Amino acid sequence: MPAGASGDHRRAAESDGAVSVIPAALATATALGGAGALAGCSLPRGMRIPVVGALTAGVGVGGGAVGVAALGGSRWAAALPGVLPLAGTHLAVDALAGLFMAIAGAVVAAVAVYGIGYAAGHGPHGLGSRTAQAVLPLFALTLVLVPVAASVSTFLVLWELMALASLLLVLAEHRERASVRQAGVWYAVMTHLGLVLLLIGFALFAAQAGGETFAALRAGAHTVSPMVRGLVFVLVAAAFTSKAGAVPLHAWLPRAHPEAPSPVSALMSAAMVNLGIYGLVRTGLDLLGGGPAWWWLGLMATGGASAVYGILQAAMASDLKRLLAYSTSENMGLVLIGVGASGLFAAYGDRPLAALALAAALLHVVNHAAFKALLFCAAGSVLRATGLRDLDRLGGLRPRMPVTAGLFALAALGAVALPPGNGFISEWLLLQSLIHGLAVPGVAVAVVLPLSVALIALSAGIAAAVFVKALGVGFFARPRSEQAADAKEAPPLMLAGMGLLGAGCAALALVPGLLGDGLDRAVGAVGLPGSGAVAGGGLKVRLADVSATLSPLWVVAALTAALLLAVGLPRLYGRRRRRANARLWDCGGGAPTPRMAYTATSFAEPLQRVFDDVLAPEQDVNVTPVRESAYLVERVRFQHRVPDRIEHRLYEPVLRALAGAGQASRRLAGGSVHLYLGYGFVGLVVLLLILAVGW
Amino acid sequence: MGLLRKIRDTGRVAEPAPPRPEGGVPAKARELGGSVQVRCVDAGSCNGCEIEIAAAFNPVYDAERYGARLVASPRHADVALVTGPVTRNMAQPLRRTVAAMGEPRLVVAVGDCAINCGEFAGGYGVEGAVSDVVPVDLQVPGCPPEPAEIIAALRRVTGR
Repeated sequence: MPAGASGDHRRAAESDGAVSVIPAALATATALGGAGALAGCSLPRGMRIPVVGALTAGVGVGGGAVGVAALGGSRWAAALPGVLPLAGTHLAVDALAGLFMAIAGAVVAAVAVYGIGYAAGHGPHGLGSRTAQAVLPLFALTLVLVPVAASVSTFLVLWELMALASLLLVLAEHRERASVRQAGVWYAVMTHLGLVLLLIGFALFAAQAGGETFAALRAGAHTVSPMVRGLVFVLVAAAFTSKAGAVPLHAWLPRAHPEAPSPVSALMSAAMVNLGIYGLVRTGLDLLGGGPAWWWLGLMATGGASAVYGILQAAMASDLKRLLAYSTSENMGLVLIGVGASGLFAAYGDRPLAALALAAALLHVVNHAAFKALLFCAAGSVLRATGLRDLDRLGGLRPRMPVTAGLFALAALGAVALPPGNGFISEWLLLQSLIHGLAVPGVAVAVVLPLSVALIALSAGIAAAVFVKALGVGFFARPRSEQAADAKEAPPLMLAGMGLLGAGCAALALVPGLLGDGLDRAVGAVGLPGSGAVAGGGLKVRLADVSATLSPLWVVAALTAALLLAVGLPRLYGRRRRRANARLWDCGGGAPTPRMAYTATSFAEPLQRVFDDVLAPEQDVNVTPVRESAYLVERVRFQHRVPDRIEHRLYEPVLRALAGAGQASRRLAGGSVHLYLGYGFVGLVVLLLILAVGW
Repeated sequence: MGLLRKIRDTGRVAEPAPPRPEGGVPAKARELGGSVQVRCVDAGSCNGCEIEIAAAFNPVYDAERYGARLVASPRHADVALVTGPVTRNMAQPLRRTVAAMGEPRLVVAVGDCAINCGEFAGGYGVEGAVSDVVPVDLQVPGCPPEPAEIIAALRRVTGR
C-alpha cells in the first residue's frame, strides 16, 4: 500500500495532467485508514467512536477524490515491488476504477458520519466495540482500494482483506443475537468459496497469458485458447456474481446484510456488492477483451433470474433489512443484465450499443448505491429507535420520525424505478439499449432481449409493491407495538449522514448529466466507444437512427406542474365547503385497533398467491381443542413461512452430502499410530509414483 | 340469450304508481333534489320490517322509480331507515351511524317498535324508541308497515 515510507519504492509512475492528486489522495486515504484502525484499538470508548468516524469519513473523501480525478480523465499507475513478497504490488487507476472508487468513497464518507451517531447510542458491544471500530476504517479502506489493484496478487490480497474485514463487522453484534453467528458462518464459507474460484480462475489465466499484472493479462489474453478463456470466465464470473449477490450464489446476502450493524449493511450493500460488478466488467470486458455470445447470455440469464427472484423474495419478506437485502439482489441482477447485454452486443460487433448498455449498467450501479445506502441507513435509524426490524410490528413512524420517513420515501422512490426517482433513469436507459438491440442479428439475441425487457418490467412492477409495503406498512398508519409508539427521531449526526445520501439521490435524479463525461470515460476504459448517453444536464440516447431523449429535470418540472394543477385548480374554482371533523366510519362497532391494519404479510399475500408455484410457501395450522370437547377450541396456532427455495433445493443437499462425507471420513482417524504411519507411507509412495510417471 | 328473452317475455311488473302522498316535503329534504340515498339500520328489529323494506325495493313496488336507492354505508346516505326498538348494544352504533351521515340527513323510524318500542317496551335489553336515541324526522307506523306505506314515506322525502 502506498502509504508513507512505501512511497519510496515507487518504481514507475505514469500520468497525464493532475499527476499529484491521485497518489497524494491515495496515500492520505491509506494513512487515514491505518490511523483509524490504530485509534479504534487504542482510544477509550468515549473518544473512539467520533475519532474513528471522522478518520473513516476521511478515507471516503480521499477515495472519492481519487475517483473523481480519474473520472475527470487522469490516469495513474505504479508498481511497489517491496510491499508484497514475491509478486510486489501493482496499482493503477483508470476511469472504470475511478467510477467504483467514487461510489465507494461517497458512500463511505456519508455512512461514516451516520455511523458515529449510530454506534454512540449502542451498547458496549456491537459496532461501538474496540474490534469493530478498529476494523471499520480498514473495511472502508479496502472498499476504496480494491479497484486500484492492477495485478492478480494485489487484487486478491485486497479482495480477501475486504472480505475478512466485512466478516468481522457482520459479527459485531454476535453477543446480542445467535442468528448473527449463523449468518457469519454462511458469509465466511461463501465468500471464501468465491475466493477459491477467483484464485483458480486467475491463476489459470495468469499462467496461460504469461504474467500476472493486468497489463500482461490484457496483452496475453488473445493468445489463450478459447476453452481456457471460457473456463476462466465461468470461474471468475461465478465468484463475482456471488459477491454481487446474484442467484443462485446469493445465499449469504439475505443473511449477512440484515444481521450486520446497519452502517455496515449500508457499506456492504451499496459499495461491496458493486465490486463484484467491477470485477466482472474488468475481467470479462477488459482483461479477457470480451468473449463469445454464450458467456454473456449466461450472465444475462443469471441477471434475469436474480432480478425476478430477488424482488419476489423481497415482496415476501417482513423483516425490513432482509427486504432491502433481497432488493440488492434484484438490482444487481438488473446490472448483470446490462453488463451481459453489453458483452453480447460487443460479441456481435455493435460497439456503440454495447457502450450504451454498459453505461446504463454502470449508471444503475451508481443509482443503486445512492438509494440503497440511504434505505439501509433509514432502516438502521428505525432499528435504533425501536429495536425492531419486523415490519408487522412497526408502523406510525412518520409523525414520530419525520426526517427518517421522508428520506426513506425519497430512496424508495429511487428504488421503484418510477419518475422522478433516480433508479428510473438508469432502468430507462437499460431498456432503451435492450430494445434497440433487437436490430442485432442472431436467434439468441431475438429470444433473449425481449425476455430480458419483460423480466425488467416484471421486477420493476413488483419493486413498486415492495416499496409501497416497506413505506406504507413500516412508516404510515398507526404503530403496531409499544416500541414503535415510543420511537424518537434519530440524532443529528445520523440525520446528517442520511441527508448527504439523500442529496446524492436527488442530484442523480435531477441532473444525472453531471456524471456524463465520467461515465463515458469509464465505459471507454474497457475499450468501448463513449456512448454519450448521459450528457449536458439532460439524458440523451444518441444512436445513429434512434432519437429517444429523456430530460429528468423536465420530467420533474412537468410532474410538479401537474401536481400543482391537480391540487390548485379545484381550490381556485371549486365551491368552498365548510369542513367538519368527523369520526372515522368504523361500522359503528368501535375504533379498529392497530392489529386490524394491513401488515406486511397480509399486504404481500395476494402477490404470494399469484407466485405460489415459484415461492412454494409453507403453512401449518395447529388447532388445540379443550379437554372436555373436541368442538371447543382452546388455541389455534398458525405458522406461515416463505423459505428461500433455491437455498432449499441447491444448498441443503450439498450440505448434507458434506456432513455425510465428514462423518464417513472420521473412520479414517481410528486413533492407531500404525494406521497414521501407514497413511504417510502410502501418500509418499503415491506421490513418488506420480512424479515418476509424470516426469 | 335466456336472460334477454326473460326480460322481453316478463315485461314490466311494477304496479302503477299510486297518487303522491299527502303532507309536504320536509324542509331538510328539499336540498336533496329528489335523489335520496338510503341506509337501513336494524336497531333490534324482529326482521319483519326488514322483509317489508326489501319488498318495497323489489320490482313490484319499485321504490327506486321515486328516486330512493339503498346504499351500503352511512357515508353515502341521506336517509337512515331505522327499524326495531333500540337495544342497548345498538344504541351507540346507531348514534355513530347517524353522526357519520353528511348534512342534510333525515331519520325515518319504520314500524311500531321504532316509534314506541311496540311489543318490546320495557324489555331489559331495550334502551328506548328511536326518537329517544336520535332525532326522528318521519315515522311509518305498522307492525309491520306495508311496503306501500314505506314507499309513501320515502316519496315524501324525494318529493316525487
